[in-house]
Amino acid sequence: MPKVRSRLLVALVLLSLNLNANAQRGAIDTYAITNTRIVTVSGPVIERGTVVIRNGLIAAAGADVNAPPDARVIDGTGLTVYPGLIDSYTNLGLPDAAPSPSPGGGGGGGGFFALTQPRPASGPNSTQPPGLQPEVLVEDVIRPGGAEIEASRNIGITTALTLPRTGIWMGQSALINLAGDTPQQMIVRSPVAMHVGFTPLRNSGYPGSLLGVFSSLRQMMLDAQRYREAMQIYDRAPRGTRRPDTDRSLAALVPVIEGRMPVVMLANSEREIMRALDLGEEFKLKLIIAGGREADRLSARLVKQNVPVLLSLNLPKRTTAALPEADPESLRVLRERVAAQETAGKLAKAGVRFAFESGSLNNLSELMGNVNRTIENGLTATDALRAFTIWPAEILGVKNQLGSIEAGKIANLTIVRGDLFDRNSRVTHVFIDGRPVDLRPAPAPTPVPTASPN
Amino acid sequence: MNRFIAKLLFLVIIATLPLNAARAQKQTAPETLIRNATVVTVTRGTLQNTDVLLRNGKIAAVGKNLNAPANARIIDGTGKYVMPGIIDCHSHSMLDTINEGTLSVTSMVHTEDVLNPTDVDLYRELAGGVTTLNLLHGSANPIGGLNTVVKIKYGRPANEFLFPGAMPGIKFALGENVKRSSTPNQPGVTRRYPNTRMGVEEVIRDAFTRARDYKRAWDEYRAAAKNDKNLIPPRRDLQLEPLVEVLEGKRYVHAHCYITSEILMLINLADEFGFKVKTFQHVLEGYKVAKEIAAHGAGASIFADSWAYKIEAYDAIPYNAAIMTRAGVVVSMNSDSDERARRLNLEAAKAMHWGDLTEEQALKLITINPAIQLGIQERVGSIEVGKDADLAIWNGHPFSVYSRVDTTFIDGEVYFDRAQDLARRPELAKERAALEQAEPNRPRPQGQSPQGPRRRPSGHEDDDVEVEKP
Repeated sequence: MPKVRSRLLVALVLLSLNLNANAQRGAIDTYAITNTRIVTVSGPVIERGTVVIRNGLIAAAGADVNAPPDARVIDGTGLTVYPGLIDSYTNLGLPDAAPSPSPGGGGGGGGFFALTQPRPASGPNSTQPPGLQPEVLVEDVIRPGGAEIEASRNIGITTALTLPRTGIWMGQSALINLAGDTPQQMIVRSPVAMHVGFTPLRNSGYPGSLLGVFSSLRQMMLDAQRYREAMQIYDRAPRGTRRPDTDRSLAALVPVIEGRMPVVMLANSEREIMRALDLGEEFKLKLIIAGGREADRLSARLVKQNVPVLLSLNLPKRTTAALPEADPESLRVLRERVAAQETAGKLAKAGVRFAFESGSLNNLSELMGNVNRTIENGLTATDALRAFTIWPAEILGVKNQLGSIEAGKIANLTIVRGDLFDRNSRVTHVFIDGRPVDLRPAPAPTPVPTASPN
Repeated sequence: MNRFIAKLLFLVIIATLPLNAARAQKQTAPETLIRNATVVTVTRGTLQNTDVLLRNGKIAAVGKNLNAPANARIIDGTGKYVMPGIIDCHSHSMLDTINEGTLSVTSMVHTEDVLNPTDVDLYRELAGGVTTLNLLHGSANPIGGLNTVVKIKYGRPANEFLFPGAMPGIKFALGENVKRSSTPNQPGVTRRYPNTRMGVEEVIRDAFTRARDYKRAWDEYRAAAKNDKNLIPPRRDLQLEPLVEVLEGKRYVHAHCYITSEILMLINLADEFGFKVKTFQHVLEGYKVAKEIAAHGAGASIFADSWAYKIEAYDAIPYNAAIMTRAGVVVSMNSDSDERARRLNLEAAKAMHWGDLTEEQALKLITINPAIQLGIQERVGSIEVGKDADLAIWNGHPFSVYSRVDTTFIDGEVYFDRAQDLARRPELAKERAALEQAEPNRPRPQGQSPQGPRRRPSGHEDDDVEVEKP
């Protein structure tokens, strides 16, 4: 009797699996956007043509491409099709960082990967405290859906590099498509890079200052060098060699010190970037700078060391109110805000490779406005688009899958009425992995109350 | 044959190219002749109606009626004083963070990693005739971080500030700050060891014992690795490596201290391990053990006349500089404060009032003596031919409260010029007006109110165990 029941269960499960598969197979997977303007990025703009999507990929795109008979046809008259935009530095898909109930308290009981506290992610059985655990994989914690992902899609972002929120060795990032029912479906590539932030550990001992951050980064890389050597010696002569302790943290750093895995260091000011470049040079790292607000001041070095920049579009602006009793702001601050708008243009002119990232803008609706400000300050519109598409694809190692409209690439497309960077344009359709996503109109911006004139 | 000659010529040209380039680069700083000034050489007396020629970043000549080279910048020094750039042997300027206070031994941290070349305090220090700083880690722990000696090349990137050839050093600290006397006991919070002066000694002794073992482990490994290719090397330890350098005499110890018992303790401990303390910093009770300090060969870097700002500072007297100087200690007067650093000339002058040091002895407190304490006395600290052209032109005697700096040179280049500063102000006001109109600088009608001015540290930073701001 129990046997019969279990067999029945198995049969039911199989049946339901089969149904699922059928449902998927039956779903429409072929689309054609016709009579549309196509900005391929990789080639010239096609003023009037068709893009065919099949089985999650771009099947064809061109002026003389015809919609297949089984395709669902979208009339693209008046629309422009762009490659899906890539946001190259985000925390999308991560569980919320809720405020900690007990600041400085011991290990939370929420499991190793419960990122419910504003503290760095933690790896199991680590030799290092949270925040110094390079073995943390963001892949293990991402979740599909959520308001942040939706907000990004609404402005045409289809792909994002996502990384743990905090830490010194923050962990390893993943490139995800912003649609999919499971984390596994979302991941395009993982791990993509190792991430370093320079924020000291809080309430958890050394390193508690920027001074200690640098020495602990150095010490762990030296330890990783020794770990690699010890393991090589042990592999060579296991008999007669005392077995070295395994260490997941150091093991995770081996590809970094070998220059195989890129390291993304968060650095905005000139001196922060210089420190990162120095550290990269010291340990021969494959470095990428994130943030990069003053990166243009170090263009020559960035080109020479071949270090790309993930440039934040969270452009600084004055946030304090104008009160008569306020101290005047320093000239330096005033200069820096204006100069930040020019960074992108200067990087492009100097030949520094860069990609845009949203820089945790609170209000994503400002993003395109800020792109416009970089265009008004020296960046060409063509390069602005590249910095959102093919350049991040190159920097993040997915140029064969993403970043342009070419046959065979993943069908991530952003379709816009008007020009992408025009203030009055509207994203009408977004395709991710060949499927349309529901777009919700962005909420109307909250009206800014005018200051009472007194 | 012709081709061969051409090739040879080409090679010769190629070979001389880098030389030419280097020369061209050096010559970009124009030669400067300061004429008819009172030259306070510090080591060779004060010379009236004397010219000083600066060339290629060095002091090229000092004498009467020097010939001005063509294209030289000529400064009329009539009625003015030329003095070596002031050296501040205890500064925390341009450090983004001062203390790594989590551990009792933080010899692995390096101030060089956190330099901020845009710190405006640097410009103010230049305006006070200061050209060289000893940037020290704070005093939160018995063994603190590594120091950085810099020339104040304000406007240049941080790496150009580094003083080439300065002896590497490390900060030690004893007494109240490291035993956390001002940290109240809090329930449930474990106090960081040590809590007594006995513990401070133990922490330092333990660290040097570990450093000695560490060195031995590496020596043994190096000897054994010659015969055994499969030997796993010891771990490189950034905490212990600088202490090995101290033991080998390759790194100077700058020890913050106050009272006699701890000064003698460190001397004894250094003797036991066979290293020298290069300077005692603050060392307010140094006058009581001046002979012992001199016998150890240590210098003292002190305040002129501040005391009683904490218990261990109660026994200080303003005669400290004079008494230690007469006992044969190399004494310097430091600031330990971005504010005091602008007027170190007056701090030195006080030593003439308290204790009757001669003018020359008092001048040395802020020039050649701190240079000796940092191992840079061959480069700076006095006006001598061949030394770095680091100097300031004062409009009166540097020890007068009415004097101020007109121009400050480092390596022959102008880093502060009062006349230029004043002349640039209208232009800067215009720039400010334009910037304030730019979109990113427009004040928002709403949002948080502006922050108040940054809290400036009061006179003493040495007892200001910094708390990291979130």
